[in-house]
Amino acid sequence: MASKKAGGTTNPNLKIAAGAMVCEDCELIGDITIGSRTVIHPKARIVAESGPVVIGEYNIIEELVTITNSSSTESGNGKVLIIGNNNVFEVGANVQAVRVGDHNVIESKAHVGPKVEIGTGCIVGAGCQITMAEQLADYTVIYGGKCERRIQRERPPAQTLQIDFLTKILPNYHYLKKPNTQPASRTAVKK
Amino acid sequence: MATYADLELVKYLCCCKKKFSVCRLYLCKYCLQLRCTDCTQHEVDTPYCPHCLENMPSGEAKLKKNRCSNCFDCPVCGHTLVTRSTSHTSPSPDDPTKTIAKKMYYMACGFCRWTTRDVGLPDQSVASGSWPILQNPHEQRISSLLENYKIMAQIEKAEHERKKYVSRRSHLYRQDKYGGSAAGLRRKGMSTFSSMSSTESKVPGELEPSVTVDSFEPLPNEYFTEPAALVKTTKLAHRHSVPEFQPTEISKLHPIHKHLLMRKSLRCKECEHNVSKADFNPSSIKFKIQLTAQHHVPEIRILTPSTFTMNKETIVTLTLSNPSVFGMTVSLHPIEDESDTDYCSAKVELPKKELLLAGRDEPSMQMYDDSSQADEFKDDPKVIVFRKGNKIGFVVKVTPVVNEGDVKIQFMMKHEFRNTTAAALQSESKEPEIVWLEHKVYMNLGPIAKKDPNVSQA
Repeated sequence: MASKKAGGTTNPNLKIAAGAMVCEDCELIGDITIGSRTVIHPKARIVAESGPVVIGEYNIIEELVTITNSSSTESGNGKVLIIGNNNVFEVGANVQAVRVGDHNVIESKAHVGPKVEIGTGCIVGAGCQITMAEQLADYTVIYGGKCERRIQRERPPAQTLQIDFLTKILPNYHYLKKPNTQPASRTAVKK
Repeated sequence: MATYADLELVKYLCCCKKKFSVCRLYLCKYCLQLRCTDCTQHEVDTPYCPHCLENMPSGEAKLKKNRCSNCFDCPVCGHTLVTRSTSHTSPSPDDPTKTIAKKMYYMACGFCRWTTRDVGLPDQSVASGSWPILQNPHEQRISSLLENYKIMAQIEKAEHERKKYVSRRSHLYRQDKYGGSAAGLRRKGMSTFSSMSSTESKVPGELEPSVTVDSFEPLPNEYFTEPAALVKTTKLAHRHSVPEFQPTEISKLHPIHKHLLMRKSLRCKECEHNVSKADFNPSSIKFKIQLTAQHHVPEIRILTPSTFTMNKETIVTLTLSNPSVFGMTVSLHPIEDESDTDYCSAKVELPKKELLLAGRDEPSMQMYDDSSQADEFKDDPKVIVFRKGNKIGFVVKVTPVVNEGDVKIQFMMKHEFRNTTAAALQSESKEPEIVWLEHKVYMNLGPIAKKDPNVSQA
């Protein structure tokens, strides 16, 4: 079904590390690197037209999530969008951030604008929109209809169990893209 | 659904001359009158916790300051906190080389992700009931004030009784002033006279008077020099939710005990019969008695909006639905002796014939055959536009008499009502007595179309 799209095995710039779960039915455009143990659900969309997107390890990218590298208006000129490790992008989230650190949760239908830099342990609540150019401090929680903010003490827990579960269950119902690089590529993820 | 029913376009006149949409009204079976929330007596059945649904006698609830002891709200966003468990490993007391896993509990908010760990509250070893309660620093002062006011209330009451001894019964409410238990005072009854002499001497002098504050320290310089740390400061709502502490920093917020809610029953003020009484069990959504007008009075709605022009007859389609399981006859009449002339802004021509409505037949509502029904009732297609189950669509002709503003009409609706009260059943031979009820209906059909100068009047 997704083979019509630009993604699939036809994308020569797609690098999937061994151990990653990338469903066939998602749209991956441009130079994308996906770290091991990262799970990408069907119908997710990653657009790396203006610059490469590098996704780290142990991330969960759920259905209808859009991650766009919007660092430049011209294609191929932008900077690399680096997404760290242990992040969760919930259903329908739209992320155009400059950088995403580690242990963040972007909840359902949240919108992260193109000039936002997300640090570590942040939570962008369901439906919250951040559009201003800013650097989110570590452990910031944005919640509620008025996008209220709070600093929490601990980062959200890693979703290791959920990743284990998805790794077991997803292959039963979906075709997966084959990993084409060895886990050694993780060095590329780390700064 | 609530917004669908609660449009406020079609209103019925309550017996107190106020207008309400039908879902806000009750029908007293005994007075056969519409009653609104102001015409009913509201009574507290029982306080209960909306989260754990535990019933609490009102005395106990008062003692616990109307809060649940087991359930908590998030102090940051107000959502209910949920208990989470984690396993915590610690060295075994018997053998230091081994570790034992122990379940520890903490509370977290599912909405803003606040946890009890955020404010440094240690995890608890039991799931509920062991969370520390903060001591109010002013508790002594408050209790001494309360005590004093109770005595004051007692004295006042006793004096009042002495003056108006004859008409004592009408002043029962006065007894509960300042929270002095009314029931307790009543039980004492006449003994208040004798106890008065001893309490009277106790009041003055014992209470430490409040100290007037007339100068404040100026704000520290940091308030002007440091950037405002908005993410760490509490908002006004946070402070108001804990009036006894009013913390200024987010890190000092503690979980808030959940407020109890009230199950209430409504009683007709005229005949004192219940019009609404909920089931005793808070987890049940059923009612023992529910006489909301929506279940007994046919409901009129506007089918589609129409365009109105002044002095031009417009056909408006209204729907009428029968909430009862029996067939119903409805007739519409103009209101002749109208004192409320301000309301009406249009002339209305109502159907002259009686409108017959089929009963509400819940199981077969999905698969009604319209065509057979129309034959059954011999409908006049000029009046009845459609018929479906217990609902009909009928037309009225509306002629606005104003040139701007909303088109408003009023009429009287007469409908059959099967009186199934015990009194009515006894008088007749087991057959429910059929009575005719009259309600005044007020409708707002929408605004008059603005005259567009570019369009020639056709």
